[in-house]
Amino acid sequence: MGNEFDQYLSTFIDETREYMNTLNEKMLQLEREPDNMEVVNEIFRTIHTLKGMSGTMGFEAMAKLSHRIENIFDLVRNGKLIVSQVLMDKLFAGIDLLDKMTGAIVAGDSDSSVDISQLIAQYEKVLSTGSVEDIGGAKKEAETEPEKGSEPQEKTKKENEKPDKKSDEREYFESPIELPSEIKMVLTEGREEGYTPYYMKVTLEEGTLLKSARMYMVFHKLEELDSEVLLSIPGVEKIEDEEFEDEVEMVFLSKLSQQKLVDSLMTISEIENIKVFALEMEEEPVKEDEESQEEEKEEKIVETPESPEQESQGTKSQRRTASSKLTRTIRVDTEKLDTLMNLMAELVISRSRINETLKRYDIKDVDESLAQLSRNTLDLQNIVMKIRMVPISYVFNRFPRMVRDLARNNDKNVDLIITGQDTEVDRTVVEEIGDPLVHLLRNAVDHGVESKDERLKKGKSSTGVVRLNAKHEGNNVVIEVIDDGKGLDRDRILSKAIERGLVDEVSASSLNDEEIFQFVFMPGFSTNDAVTEVSGRGVGMDVVKTAIENLNGSISMTSEKNKGTNVTIRLPLTLAIIQALLVKVADLVYAIPIVSIDSTLNLPTSEIQIVQSREVVVIRGEIIPVVWLKEVFNHPQEEKPDNIHVVIVKAGNKKYGLVVDGLLGQDDIVIKSLGKLLKDVNEFSGAAILGDGSIALILEIANVVHHNV
Amino acid sequence: MSKRVLIVDDAAFMRMILKDIVSKNGFEVAGEAANGVEAVERYKELKPDVTTMDITMPEMNGIEAIKKIKSEDADAKIIVCSAMGQQAMVIDAIQAGAKDFIVKPFQHSRVVEALTKVLG
Repeated sequence: MGNEFDQYLSTFIDETREYMNTLNEKMLQLEREPDNMEVVNEIFRTIHTLKGMSGTMGFEAMAKLSHRIENIFDLVRNGKLIVSQVLMDKLFAGIDLLDKMTGAIVAGDSDSSVDISQLIAQYEKVLSTGSVEDIGGAKKEAETEPEKGSEPQEKTKKENEKPDKKSDEREYFESPIELPSEIKMVLTEGREEGYTPYYMKVTLEEGTLLKSARMYMVFHKLEELDSEVLLSIPGVEKIEDEEFEDEVEMVFLSKLSQQKLVDSLMTISEIENIKVFALEMEEEPVKEDEESQEEEKEEKIVETPESPEQESQGTKSQRRTASSKLTRTIRVDTEKLDTLMNLMAELVISRSRINETLKRYDIKDVDESLAQLSRNTLDLQNIVMKIRMVPISYVFNRFPRMVRDLARNNDKNVDLIITGQDTEVDRTVVEEIGDPLVHLLRNAVDHGVESKDERLKKGKSSTGVVRLNAKHEGNNVVIEVIDDGKGLDRDRILSKAIERGLVDEVSASSLNDEEIFQFVFMPGFSTNDAVTEVSGRGVGMDVVKTAIENLNGSISMTSEKNKGTNVTIRLPLTLAIIQALLVKVADLVYAIPIVSIDSTLNLPTSEIQIVQSREVVVIRGEIIPVVWLKEVFNHPQEEKPDNIHVVIVKAGNKKYGLVVDGLLGQDDIVIKSLGKLLKDVNEFSGAAILGDGSIALILEIANVVHHNV
Repeated sequence: MSKRVLIVDDAAFMRMILKDIVSKNGFEVAGEAANGVEAVERYKELKPDVTTMDITMPEMNGIEAIKKIKSEDADAKIIVCSAMGQQAMVIDAIQAGAKDFIVKPFQHSRVVEALTKVLG
């Protein structure tokens, strides 16, 4: 369908992702409850919708694959195929491919870049044999194709009405198709009763879909018009099976005029052409009796193998209200939300400025309305923040599936227990937190949880437990990944750290566990020599740490040998508003994110020492390089003061002392981007407008210190 | 006055496609619904000239919804939206009183043809 639908792409992608989540979730449920028909139906419906959507977008490979999966579930829900592990694996594989296609589409690629031929072939085998035996699965005693109606008997009811003599004025033709004698008989008989025998040729438009349903409409219409179809070529069974090109010929009895018939039938869409003419009948003696096997025809067309309604009738009462809830939501471009957030921030700032100004005049009358305004803006601010929040389940949803696969690949038993998936976080956080969590979960399953045997030897249950928790804590969201596996190997980490020169043997002995575990976050640090498929992807804990820090968050780890490992991530609820320490450098105000700050100190300048031609201070035995922000930002440096304010910040695993002229206090600030023109300025992550209307630049600590030490 | 169409489909995406086709071809979108239950409610409330009805939907499927609507308004004009492979359901829907059907993926011309013919 091409480009005309490009505008729909983002909606398509969003919705497809939602459906993919539902699919994965329901598939996992089905794996646990293979007999749950409600789940089967839900999966069927979801995949059916996906098929329709992808077809509409012209993603044919995707539509094709969804179609096959849908067909398989159709067999399942009709009891012709039972849900076995082999089948589940095959279906999971299909869903993975759909996911991959979605990914390809997102990346601007085509869905056909994903090779589905092999799986399609397997599916088709399942579909044609009605069993997964060939690919090693179980089969349910399946009845063969439900009976289809035998070739309908062309018989008709006798009508007791008087013949309509006007019909005799019509032109009659010989029938272009050979009429069996019993049909001729019925036709003649019908004519006696006021019917006109007609021949009709219906041609469907080229490319008509669901041709048999389309033809059914013709039959249905004729029935409505009190007409009786006696014969059709091809036969009804063939029509049902869509075994015809675009044409169907039929012979029927009707009391209507030729014109009326054409007019009525042409109201059916996708009919290219209808040719109708009355049939010439040679008079033949009428036999009685052909009476009572009628009405078969219509019945037969209707009785197709499936019983489509079963599904909804069985389950509609239990269906959750999820979908009705969905419709009460609307989709909003995230850019609009960002704009709203910005405007909100401006409003907060304006309010503070008005507040400050009015304070000077002490006008009683405005106090009340000002208080009201304050309350309103605060409420508004909260709501806008909430709008940007999404439940973390958006990220968590895919993990059960992932952990299942990982565990299977490693031949381990692992239960993933998720709590707090309703915890809401800023959508930016949700977008960024996925990859780090994937990595942590992989570590937990791959390196943390031991093999079944090993666990049994240690007296643990053979099934490992990985917990993924999310909760709010003050203005933070805390995410924990906890496993009950073998824990970190303290000694091995330490010896590796020494080997790599990260620490010398003397000071190594004084390190506590937590300090030792910190080495794991060092770039390229890994204790696992064997590179496994899952975790050996060159992405270490250092990348996780960096990703978390980019979100203004922090990560810590505790571990106990043979008890397990606990990784805790702490993230701000929102990235738009952060807590910062405002500092003065020369006459400008700068903001330092609180998460980067270790401590602040007031020192005599004389405590600065020179080590290897660099200025350092020694604080609690730690040598900390000093950075004069005045120099960094090219403010003229008069002579150095006697006392200096030092803000100790953390960048990676190192600490630095930033020398500032004064500490102004802590504040919530709204981050504003510096815009495209200044995108190369990497010492600042953005700017914030302060209550008095002035602007503070927000320091990007890692870049400030790296450029200057 | 342009004819008013009620669009029923559980996928927002499909509704969007249909709304677009409908409004670009001189019809007015009277409203939309995402499942059968809603469709019945919206039908009563909006009294559209014609309704497009998806078959496979949660809560109440399209065929049930057609029956419900038809039981309250025998003249209701409903076009079923079906996907490939739903032949049997389309036939059920027509028996339930649907006037026509269109097949996903939708082709503009076919949708317009169905709407025009049903309204004609």
